[in-house]
Amino acid sequence: MGLLRYTIVRLIQAIPVLIGITVITFILANVAPGDPVRLMLQGQEVDQELIDRIERQYGLDRPLHERYVAYMTNLLQGDLGYSIHRDRPVTELIIQRSGPTLMLVLSAYAFALATAIPLGILAATRRNEPADHVSRIVALVGVSTPSFWIGIMLILIFAIQLGVLPSSGLVYPWWGPEHYGYSGYVELLFQTIRHLLLPMIALGTLQMATLMRVERTQMIESLQGEYVKLARAYGVPERTILRKHAFQVAQLPIITIVGLNLSTALGGAVLIEYVFNINGLGRLLLEAIIGLDYQLIMGITVVIGTMFVVGVIITDISYAYVDPRVTYGDRD
Amino acid sequence: MAEPLLRVDNLKTQFFTDAGTVRAVDGISFEVHEGEIVGLVGESGAGKSVASMSLLRLVESPGEIVGGEITYRGETIFGLEEGPDGELRERDDMLSNEEMRDRIRGNEIAVIFQDPMESLNPVFTVGGQLREFIELNRGLGEDEAREESVEMLREVGIPDPAERYHEYPHQFSGGMRQRVLIAMALACEPNLIIADEPTTALDVTVEGQILELVDDLQAKYGTSFIWVTHDMGVVAEICDRVNVMYLGEIIEQAPVDELFHDTKHPYTTALLNSMPRPDRTVEELEPIRGVMPEAINPPSGCRFHPRCPDAREVCKRVHPGNEVVDRADGTPHRAACVKHDVFDVGYDESVPLEEEPQVTAGTPGGEDR
Repeated sequence: MGLLRYTIVRLIQAIPVLIGITVITFILANVAPGDPVRLMLQGQEVDQELIDRIERQYGLDRPLHERYVAYMTNLLQGDLGYSIHRDRPVTELIIQRSGPTLMLVLSAYAFALATAIPLGILAATRRNEPADHVSRIVALVGVSTPSFWIGIMLILIFAIQLGVLPSSGLVYPWWGPEHYGYSGYVELLFQTIRHLLLPMIALGTLQMATLMRVERTQMIESLQGEYVKLARAYGVPERTILRKHAFQVAQLPIITIVGLNLSTALGGAVLIEYVFNINGLGRLLLEAIIGLDYQLIMGITVVIGTMFVVGVIITDISYAYVDPRVTYGDRD
Repeated sequence: MAEPLLRVDNLKTQFFTDAGTVRAVDGISFEVHEGEIVGLVGESGAGKSVASMSLLRLVESPGEIVGGEITYRGETIFGLEEGPDGELRERDDMLSNEEMRDRIRGNEIAVIFQDPMESLNPVFTVGGQLREFIELNRGLGEDEAREESVEMLREVGIPDPAERYHEYPHQFSGGMRQRVLIAMALACEPNLIIADEPTTALDVTVEGQILELVDDLQAKYGTSFIWVTHDMGVVAEICDRVNVMYLGEIIEQAPVDELFHDTKHPYTTALLNSMPRPDRTVEELEPIRGVMPEAINPPSGCRFHPRCPDAREVCKRVHPGNEVVDRADGTPHRAACVKHDVFDVGYDESVPLEEEPQVTAGTPGGEDR
């Protein structure tokens, strides 16, 4: 009785992983060099008594395990701590900044899948023909070029040289057209896409390149399958074989790779947000690291870790959904 | 005799590889009549599967049918003619790729493949796959095709067909999957079914059940079969007439009883001696010595001569065609061996060949290049 139970089991299995994430980030944040209190005081000469008082106020004088328990207790209530530098709750900051990052990562994946699948199939059906060679070169360049460099080049070409697309910032459709002074939802949508286009391509290129190669290999293998021969022998048109018989089998590894590459995509988002001046989670993390804003670093790491775990679970579930051979842990 | 259902005349299928041209099927001729089960027998690599795929024009690249004629019910599946510039070209009356796909494959000639584990698509239900082929080849609507699918699953002996219709291939055993493949072939109501080693992957008890099933269904539907196998036991059990293939050629062709009891070709004899037979008690089975050479550079003369116990000097020089050497009740018994009188090439006077080191593979870079 599969899918629901499987989902629940997977979610339960995720709990130790999430606890592990918090333990590791907590320890790393606390053993890292640099004293948060002195940093907060920004080099002002103060007496030890003040420092002790501040440490007491934030609980920094208590032993590590006690602080961890306190942190976890707050975390379970949705409180990720307080950013000393920004004078705002971490939870609030993260919620505010998650939207742009999710929008960026999801659109990058949409772009990668929308281009990689047809191009991969094309390369598979035109094996060792010009189309295949071109796709191989595109994939090689895509895999070996850093995403921030692609971002900078895209800005140079489309924003600076041609001046057709904006070089920084995003338009967030959930703020509504009035916020930006647009005439209506059509313009809002148009502007959203316009702003998203370059960062999406910059972040999605690596995924596109990897997925395209996998799609090609899988399609070639699938097209040589006995079931394809069988379909041909029963007069199934070649187009149906490509779209249905071979395609469906070939998509299984794609799902796995999408899930596993989520970590690279989230990591890439940090750089892309920086290059394109997007106020997302990645940029927030970068700024928190530079400013040694511990509570914020931890909060973001925990959230990104959770996103990754959730992504992997969704991958597993959709895999089980697409491939009937995957059992949900219990047979029949 | 009435016009045969299928006539294959001098069919040649070759594979153009980097190492040279492989003559997988090198000029075979045979016929299949209505309601007959015709065997196509030989060792692995004899060209049986390529021959059967050629009949559907489904030879995969780099393979290509390069010569001969295939006629099915008066329609030309394959045929060449000489163009005005002397080049060979496909005849105008040859069926187009679309016609082959829409009219011949599945609904006139269906195939049962040899690997039941791999032949079904793992991500679709068994019933869905069966239904698709029925819809396509019999022009039935979805609901009718579904009913027909369940009916066919029951017919081939799958218990609880209505429930199992919704199951996936991995939930079926090998024997059950082979039954599904048979159901697919029969459900399309073809006149000819090519069974390409359909029982090779199965264990003997399941093989027995499948053969029995095919026998019953063949009697019921009157479908003709081409039964491709390397197993003489299976041939004896179900075939009416047999074609024995060796290195791309048919070297003996006879009704099943004549083939077994009045064998005319040393290769067939060797094949029969290499398998256990209930009617003959022997101390040890005699394997055929050596292995079959590769079709890329076949031996000169008779292709079997390096492995033949009866080989003489003349066998190295003369390449025998498949000639009528005997007749039983008006049915010709053909064999391609020069020891028979019809050939008259001096076999009797020729010196027997010493046993020579085995020629196991052709040397790349030979005359074929």
